[in-house]
Amino acid sequence: MLSRVADSIYWMARYMERAENLSRLLLSTQDLLLDAGEEASDESQFWGPILMTTGDEERYDKIHATIEGELVADFLALRADNPNSILNCVRAARENARTVRDQISDELWECINGLRLFLESPEATALHQNQRASFYEKVLVASYQFQGIASSTTPRDESWHFLRLGLCLERADKTTRLIDTCSAISLDMPPNPLARPLRWAALLRSSSAWHAFQAYSSNKLNPVDILEYLLLNDAFPRSFAWCIEEMHTALIALCGNGRLEDMKAPVRLLGRLRADIAYITMEEVLKEGLHEFIDRLQAKLNDIGASILQTFVLYGDSAPVVGDSTHLAVLSPGAWHSAVDDNMQIQQQQQQ
Amino acid sequence: MSSLFNDYQPGSFFDEMFSAPDAARDHYSGIMGSIGTLTPAEYAARQRTADMVFLRQGVTFTVYGDDQGTERIFPFDLMPRIIPHKEWERVESGLIQRITALNLFLNDVYHGQKIINDGIVPRELVESASHFRPEFRGVKVPHGIYIHICGTDLVRDGKGEYFVLEDNGRCPSGASYMLENRNAMKRTFPGLLQSLPVRPVDAYGSMLRETLAHLAPPSVIDPNIVVLTPGVFNSAYFEHCYLAKQMGVPIVEGRDLILKNDRIFMRTTKGLQQVHVIYRRIDDDFLDPLVFRKDSLLGVPGLVNAYQNGHVALANSIGTGVADDKAVYALVPKMIKYYLDQDPILPNVPTYLGVDPKECEYILANLPNLVVKAVNESGGYGMLMGPHSTKEEREKFGERIRANPRNYIAQPVLQLSRHPVFQGDHFEGRHIDLRPYVLYGDRIHVVPGGLTRVALKKGSLVVNSSQGGGSKDTWVLWDDE
Repeated sequence: MLSRVADSIYWMARYMERAENLSRLLLSTQDLLLDAGEEASDESQFWGPILMTTGDEERYDKIHATIEGELVADFLALRADNPNSILNCVRAARENARTVRDQISDELWECINGLRLFLESPEATALHQNQRASFYEKVLVASYQFQGIASSTTPRDESWHFLRLGLCLERADKTTRLIDTCSAISLDMPPNPLARPLRWAALLRSSSAWHAFQAYSSNKLNPVDILEYLLLNDAFPRSFAWCIEEMHTALIALCGNGRLEDMKAPVRLLGRLRADIAYITMEEVLKEGLHEFIDRLQAKLNDIGASILQTFVLYGDSAPVVGDSTHLAVLSPGAWHSAVDDNMQIQQQQQQ
Repeated sequence: MSSLFNDYQPGSFFDEMFSAPDAARDHYSGIMGSIGTLTPAEYAARQRTADMVFLRQGVTFTVYGDDQGTERIFPFDLMPRIIPHKEWERVESGLIQRITALNLFLNDVYHGQKIINDGIVPRELVESASHFRPEFRGVKVPHGIYIHICGTDLVRDGKGEYFVLEDNGRCPSGASYMLENRNAMKRTFPGLLQSLPVRPVDAYGSMLRETLAHLAPPSVIDPNIVVLTPGVFNSAYFEHCYLAKQMGVPIVEGRDLILKNDRIFMRTTKGLQQVHVIYRRIDDDFLDPLVFRKDSLLGVPGLVNAYQNGHVALANSIGTGVADDKAVYALVPKMIKYYLDQDPILPNVPTYLGVDPKECEYILANLPNLVVKAVNESGGYGMLMGPHSTKEEREKFGERIRANPRNYIAQPVLQLSRHPVFQGDHFEGRHIDLRPYVLYGDRIHVVPGGLTRVALKKGSLVVNSSQGGGSKDTWVLWDDE
C-alpha cells in the first residue's frame, strides 16, 4: 500500500472518531446539566473542562469572554473557524477519504460524504439550535455507521490495520482526556449512598460505558472502580487497555511475522506500554497521581503515533526495494519493437 | 404522443430526437414509448433522484477561479442521446482512421520527418507548436505508439453531418462521467436499458488497463501500473480516482514516486516498489522539473530520463501536444491522405490559420461570424464566440491575433445539433457535442458511445463543464431495426 494512502486512511479514521467523541461528550454534558439541579447554576464548571479535553481553551478565550453552554456548544459543533469543531473534524475525515476514494468502498465514502453534506446544510444548523440532542445523536449514528460499513466492507489487509490504528489511537487519547477532567475530584464514595455521584456517572456516559459498567460492578459507582474499568479493563471497547490491545493486533499484522529482529520501532514502544498497563495496579496509579499517570500515557501515545508515521510513511529513499529485483535488469529500450507498421496493416485491412 | 414532448419545438436546428415537432426519429421510438409517457412531475422526480446520487457519491469537478468551495456536480440530463448502429459504424471507422494517422504523424515528426521533408506539413508549423518536444526526436517509445488514449470531439452541423472539432491527444478527460452517467441511467430507469439494444460501456476500465499493460516491457509478466494525478485539488481528481479504481491500480501523486537507479519506485508501507507503466494525468510541462518546468512540484525529478531509457512507460507519450495544436489539426486530413492513402471518413471543420497571412486577414475581417481559438487552449478557455461577442471583445481579440497570429485559428460558427434537455417542467432544445474515447493498445478500441456534452445555457454553443455545460448518457444501439 502507498505510504500516503496509509496516512490518509489513518487520519480519516482518527477524525471520524474525534467527531464522535466530541458529540458524545457534548451530549452527556448536556444531560449532566439537566440532572445537576442547583449545582448547574454555575455552567462554566461543566463546560470549562470540555474545552480543556479538546485543548481549545485558548482559541475559545479569544472569541468569547465567558464560558456559557450555548457558546461552547456552538464553538465545538459547527464553528467553521474552530479547526477542532465537529464540522471541521468531519470535513478533514472527508478530505482524507477523498484522497483515497479508490481504496475505500463506495459505501464508506458515501457515509462520510453524506455526514459532511448534512453538517454543511442549513438543516444541521437548525437542528443544533432547536434539538441539540438529536444533532449529536445524528453524528453518533453516522460514526457507528462508518465503523459498521468499514468493518463489513474493508478487506483485512493494510487498509484495515491502518484504519484500526487511527481509530484506536484517537479513542485511547480521548478516553484519557475524559478521565483527566475528573482527576481533580475526590475519589471517596459520597457519604450519603443516595447522593448521585454525578460527575462519575457523566464520565461513564461520555465513554458509552454506563450500562457495561453497571453490569460489571453490580451497580456501585465507586470512583476507583470506574477508573480501573476505563483504564485497565481490556474487555470494554472504549477502555484504554482495550485500545492498546487493538493497536497491538494491528501493528503485529502490519509488521509481519513477529520475529524480534523484524520488530519495528512502534511495536517496541507499544509493547512496553502494553506490559505496563497489563501489570499495573490501581494502587500504583493513585500513588503516582491520576493526572501524572494520564500525562505519562498521553506522552507515550504521542510517541507511538509519531513512530507509526515515521516507520510507514515518512521514511527516506534508503528503504528496501520490495519484490523481485530481477525486474531491474530487463528493462531496456531494445526490448521494444515498433508495432506501428503492424498496426498500419491491420488498419488497412479493416478499411477494405 | 406523450404529454412530455407535446410542446417541444426542434426549431430550425438539426434535432437529434425530432425530425419535426411531434415526429420523433425512429431510433428514439423505444424511449418515446417509455420515458415519453411519464408526466413532467414523474420525470422531474427521477431527475432529482439522479442528481442526489451524483451529489452523495461526490461525482464532482472543480472550477478554477471560483473561490466558492470549488467542487460542483457535473449537471446530468436524464434524457439519453441515441446513436443508431449504422451511423456509429461510420463514426467508429473514422475515429480509428484518425488515431492511426495521428500516431503515424507523431512517430514521423519525432523520427524521420518525412511528412515535413515531402512538403506536406510546414516545418515551421511543427517547430513553433508549443507542445512540440524537439528533445524527444529519436527517442523510441513502446511499440511506436504516442497517443494511447484519445478523446476526439465531434459535432454535427445543421444537416446532421458529423465533423471533428478537435483531437484531444494529451490528457483527455471525461471518461468517468461517461461511465457514471450510464450507472445513473441504470438506477433511474432499470427496465429501459434491458428492453433496448444498447451497447454497454462498462468494459472501459478493463480495456484501459489492457491498453496500459501493453506498454510494459514483454519481460514483465505482471506490470505495476499507476495513475499519476496532480492531486486532490485538480479539477479532474474525481475522474483520476474513478479510473484507478475501475482498473484496480493505485493512484499516485508525484510525491509518492521516487527515482532510484534510473527506475521509478512508489513509496509503500513495506518499502519501495517499482512502477512499470504510468497513466499520467499531468501535462508534459509538469512531469519532471529537471527537464520541463523547474518549479513543478507535481512531477518526479528524473522521470523523463527514465522514460527515454525505456525503464518506465508513459501514456500518453511526451510531446503528443504537437498533434493537438489547433493549427496542426487543420492538416490532419492531409496526414490521412499521406500516411494511409485514404480520404478522411470524418471531415474537419473548415479552419482558417492565423499563421497564413491571407487567412489571417480573412479572420480579422470576419470576427463577428467566426469562432476564434487559441491553438493550445482547451476546456473552452481562450476563445472568442464571434456572434455572441461585444465590439470591445472583438477589438481585444483582434489585437492579440495581430500580435501573435501563429497562436490563433478561426472556424465558421456551426449550428451544432440540438437535443431535448429537461428544464424544470418541460423540454427545450440545447446544443450538444460528442466525445468518444479511443484506446490504442495491441489494437484500437472505440468505446461505443462516449460523453455527450450539453450547453445548458439557452442558445449557447459552449459545452465545456468549466463554462456551464452538462452531460448526457450516450446510447449506441446494437442494430437499427
